[in-house]
Amino acid sequence: MINHIIRSLFYFFVFVLVQVLFLNQIHFLRMAMPFLYVYFLLKLPVGTLRIYTLLLSFLTGLTVDFFCNTPGMHAAACMCAGFVREPVISFFIGKDLSADTSPSYSTFKYGGFMRYTLAVVLVHHFVLLMIESMTLFDFWFLLLRILLSVVLTCGLIFAVELIDVKLQKGEK
Amino acid sequence: MRKLLDFLIRQRHWLVFILLITVSGVLIYRNAAYQRTVFISSANVVVGYAASVSGYANSYLNLREINTELTARNGNLEKQLLTLQQRLEHQKPDTVLNFAVPGDSAEHFPYHFVIAKVVNNSVIHLSNYITIGKGRKHGIAPGMGVISDHGVVGIISHVSDYFAVVLPILNPKHRLSCKLSRTNYFGSLVWNGRDARYAQLDELPRHVQIQEGDTIVTSGYSAIFPAGIMVGKVYNFQRHHDDNFYSAEVELSVDFSSLNDVHVIINERQEEQADLEQEAIQ
Repeated sequence: MINHIIRSLFYFFVFVLVQVLFLNQIHFLRMAMPFLYVYFLLKLPVGTLRIYTLLLSFLTGLTVDFFCNTPGMHAAACMCAGFVREPVISFFIGKDLSADTSPSYSTFKYGGFMRYTLAVVLVHHFVLLMIESMTLFDFWFLLLRILLSVVLTCGLIFAVELIDVKLQKGEK
Repeated sequence: MRKLLDFLIRQRHWLVFILLITVSGVLIYRNAAYQRTVFISSANVVVGYAASVSGYANSYLNLREINTELTARNGNLEKQLLTLQQRLEHQKPDTVLNFAVPGDSAEHFPYHFVIAKVVNNSVIHLSNYITIGKGRKHGIAPGMGVISDHGVVGIISHVSDYFAVVLPILNPKHRLSCKLSRTNYFGSLVWNGRDARYAQLDELPRHVQIQEGDTIVTSGYSAIFPAGIMVGKVYNFQRHHDDNFYSAEVELSVDFSSLNDVHVIINERQEEQADLEQEAIQ
């Protein structure tokens, strides 16, 4: 349990910092933006109470908002991602998981983890970019931005997860 | 009653979700209403300092380019100085010419400049903001113009003691009154949210002669910017069939994605002009 809390705190600080200091500057082809900090929400243990998941996602979103000058936008997107997390897990992976398991390649299998990531990231990006473009509505451009951003974020998350697995094996 | 309570406790994550979504909705709405609290923005001191650390680190990255640019600019200014000096020398002995008389010493240039570092910047969102490392303590107030060495950047929107947030051209809330330098016809410049290199100049009357490559400068009507500050060049233009106005695509002279140093323009007479115009309307 303590182990999980420490690891989650570590993920929170590292990925929110990486997001606000580096990834916020990246704008691939002037369309796709990576939002790697969602990784923190993905890695919360399966048994986390839904209320805690929601509060944590709100906090994460608000922290990123502070740095992006976009009060509420990331918070709302993270809330939606945090809200669908559990239904998505039970849909793709099933309900018979011990409360301690943290989503990863080894616990969810490669395909399972990728499907789970894709679903949560899609929800997050859809809400985020939808809110952002509320003032300037341009449907096809919006769709393109969402798809490219999802591809970029998921690619980054899969890569980070690979490194993470190796690091943890190294520790053992 | 008991069943209802049980139900509410079992489904409490729904309540939390609705509550927090409402909170973020309110935040977004207040932002959209342009009443952004200075608290949740980079004008906030803690975030400002964190951002300035990364800003300082980034500012070392392209020192070489900036150096060459500054040297080139220095050379240009020196050349201008020499030509002007030469012209002055020519005109001094000629007492017949009127304009050789030195200007009235009572009339002084009402603009001052404050140099500031960019500590946070974005070009990738639909509404972009820039944070600079000078604020109220340095005499900066909302509504002042901001330029860089290459041209117009934007307008100050919020200030705290040591930081200020700039609303750049790359924000659809920003409208800038501009004119064609060649013909002096004016229009209004906005950004469509697509490409950080181009903005759109609208409301140009239909009879105006316009060419690709025409220089666009500030009109000076708003008292925020002095007249004649570089904005960009006409990239292409089109006339709509059902419209009496041209709209032109303008290639901005400022490269917002590599912005490092800016100048804030303080106009002593800005308030006076605004008050007078307000009075005339009423």
